[in-house]
Amino acid sequence: MNRLWLIVQREYFSIVGKKSFIIMTILMPFIIVLIGAIPAAIAYFNDNSGEAETYSVIDETGMNYAAAITDIEGYHFAPLSGDSTAKPREFYDKAGGAISGVIIIPKNVIQDKKITIYSENTISPGLKSHINTCINDTLTAAKIASFGVPDLDKMMQEAQVDVSVNSVRWDDNGNEEKSSTEVATILGMMLSLLTYMFVLMYGAMIMNSVIEEKTNRIVEVVVSSCKPFQLMMGKIIGVGLVGLTQFLIWVVLVIALGTLFSLIFGISTSPQVIGDPQAMQAITAQAQEDTMSSIMQSILSVNYAYVLSCFVLYFIGGYLLYASLFAGFGSAVDEASEASQFTTPVIMLMIIALYAGIACVENPNGQMAVWCSIIPFTSPVVMMVRLPYDVPGWQLLLSILLLFATATLLVWVSARIYRTGILLYGKKTSIRDIIRWIR
Amino acid sequence: MPFIQVKDVVKQYDGHKALDCVSMDVPQGCIYGLLGPNGAGKSSLIRIINMISEPDSGEVLLDGQKMTTNDITKIGYLPEERGLYKKMKVCEEIVYLARLKGMSKRDAYEEMDKWLARFDLTEWRNRKVETLSKGMQQKVQFIATVIHRPQLLIFDEPFSGFDPVNAEQLKQEILALRDQGATILFSTHNMESVESVCERITLINHAKVVLEGKVTEIKQSHKKHLYNVAVEGDRPIDANDELFAINSTRGASAQIRLKEGTSVHDTIAWLNTNYTLTAFNEILPSMNEIFIETVKKLNA
Repeated sequence: MNRLWLIVQREYFSIVGKKSFIIMTILMPFIIVLIGAIPAAIAYFNDNSGEAETYSVIDETGMNYAAAITDIEGYHFAPLSGDSTAKPREFYDKAGGAISGVIIIPKNVIQDKKITIYSENTISPGLKSHINTCINDTLTAAKIASFGVPDLDKMMQEAQVDVSVNSVRWDDNGNEEKSSTEVATILGMMLSLLTYMFVLMYGAMIMNSVIEEKTNRIVEVVVSSCKPFQLMMGKIIGVGLVGLTQFLIWVVLVIALGTLFSLIFGISTSPQVIGDPQAMQAITAQAQEDTMSSIMQSILSVNYAYVLSCFVLYFIGGYLLYASLFAGFGSAVDEASEASQFTTPVIMLMIIALYAGIACVENPNGQMAVWCSIIPFTSPVVMMVRLPYDVPGWQLLLSILLLFATATLLVWVSARIYRTGILLYGKKTSIRDIIRWIR
Repeated sequence: MPFIQVKDVVKQYDGHKALDCVSMDVPQGCIYGLLGPNGAGKSSLIRIINMISEPDSGEVLLDGQKMTTNDITKIGYLPEERGLYKKMKVCEEIVYLARLKGMSKRDAYEEMDKWLARFDLTEWRNRKVETLSKGMQQKVQFIATVIHRPQLLIFDEPFSGFDPVNAEQLKQEILALRDQGATILFSTHNMESVESVCERITLINHAKVVLEGKVTEIKQSHKKHLYNVAVEGDRPIDANDELFAINSTRGASAQIRLKEGTSVHDTIAWLNTNYTLTAFNEILPSMNEIFIETVKKLNA
């Protein structure tokens, strides 16, 4: 036990002390936050970058639809009286650079449902969708009016049904609580991705560490002082702790930097919402029905203790399972480049698990979801997605038992591969060799 | 009682026998040579004594007891393929390996500083191993091997990679460790390097022990009755049909071979009556010669 702890310590500090590790650990949160913040920052600078661009709107219909296009930040729309014979370019040239472009609303716009923007600039999707929304509403109203039925517009409005589906879950005592599959699903997906990334990144790290020890021949000295099993487990635990450290630092830094950025720019850093006014509207619409408090309630209603304790179990099991495979295969080769014949199938398994997990969001209690969440190689990733949907107790139990049984078995198998592999040099190892070592 | 007792050890890899019923007794406080050509099975045997691998059958006794996991702290092992963690500092590396062998942190630091001073490495204490020259790295590895005061030291090709000056220093350190009571096992195919230090040897060839015993006794039993003789004056030594034959002459000295049953005493007497004898000494075969002869005889 003492030796194992020593090996864990050495493994941990040898990686944590590396320059590449420190740089990566500090840089990553900046990259993440920057990627999130760039659109916000651009929007921020755009808003303050002086004058708005002006677009002339030529309304050939004579119905004054042009007035419907309201100004937004950065854009001003100036209606012009129509002249169907003039070319848009002539307007533009006449303005002599005072306008950025010309918007033509053609005479038969109600039938054709088309308007055109002429400009030397590329028109941003944001601008297009703004104009689209403005014109749509006005034209719809005009069209309804054109039917000549009194109060049709009111009828139309009332006829519009938009049902929002609320789900209510009974807890064990039969009490009602608002369930929140959205929040839980997002949480599940995140945990699932986290497991996937962690296993792949740190699994590879373990393999490199094994190969390095083998290549520089220190391994023979070390295994004359401890059991190969201790060395392998020390590595797996040490690298696991390194991973936890890195993730903790990332989480803390991302939150801190994110807060900092949003303070500086005074806006939310979530990029999709800002770039897309429609999404913004959708959110406002939803917010009218679902009050803020109900969103909060749904966030709070997730059984975090249950989800997180399951996560920890699956995470440890999944990590052990894959890490031991990486350690075992690492010991069987002399160079990292030789290892791909063994690691490719392992990585394929992980990718299958990830895709199964993504697919299970659609149908979390379907055949595939159930099976993939029980099979040990995919369960750590897939079960995370299923957790919010009340997995039957027996499935959860079976899945965890199978996962840990398999992980234990694979640790044992890998230890046998490792024991022989680390002391074998200059021989190309085949799967057949490895099977013989296990026996 | 021998300190290390190897009893009928058999080890097989992939259907070929690496060790075939090998037995060996290493007395306490002895410098013991495990000799043999490359691939004879030396490394396999050493790994078994080190408890890195297990024998298929047979056993290894340490001080009369079957070895247990705790016994590995009593062993210091310098493998043929030297290796250290390149990115670690010298002090961290040595202390880590010492602690793996069960030393306390404080003990390890104390002992390490003594050894570093002895090898003039004190100023490299906090440098990374990769910045050291190969010779210095070898010394670091030697320190890591002996720092926990093991009762049994196993050196696999210890002098390879050392320049003559450092090799001599290493030899003196090893002798000093023997004097402090350590038992030392050398494994090598380089006979000359151990001839001067080993008291006993075991010669392995093709997984089997082919020769075993005290170095002096082995040499005696393999001697060819060859002598170097030198006399005064320029007159070359003539052969004597009754006493000896001449192998080669160079001026007034010659290498002679005594006939069967001839005594050294009679030969010296005869030489002294006919010449003025200035030198007469026996030529014992080198271990290298015995090694080659034995191996050839077996392969024939």
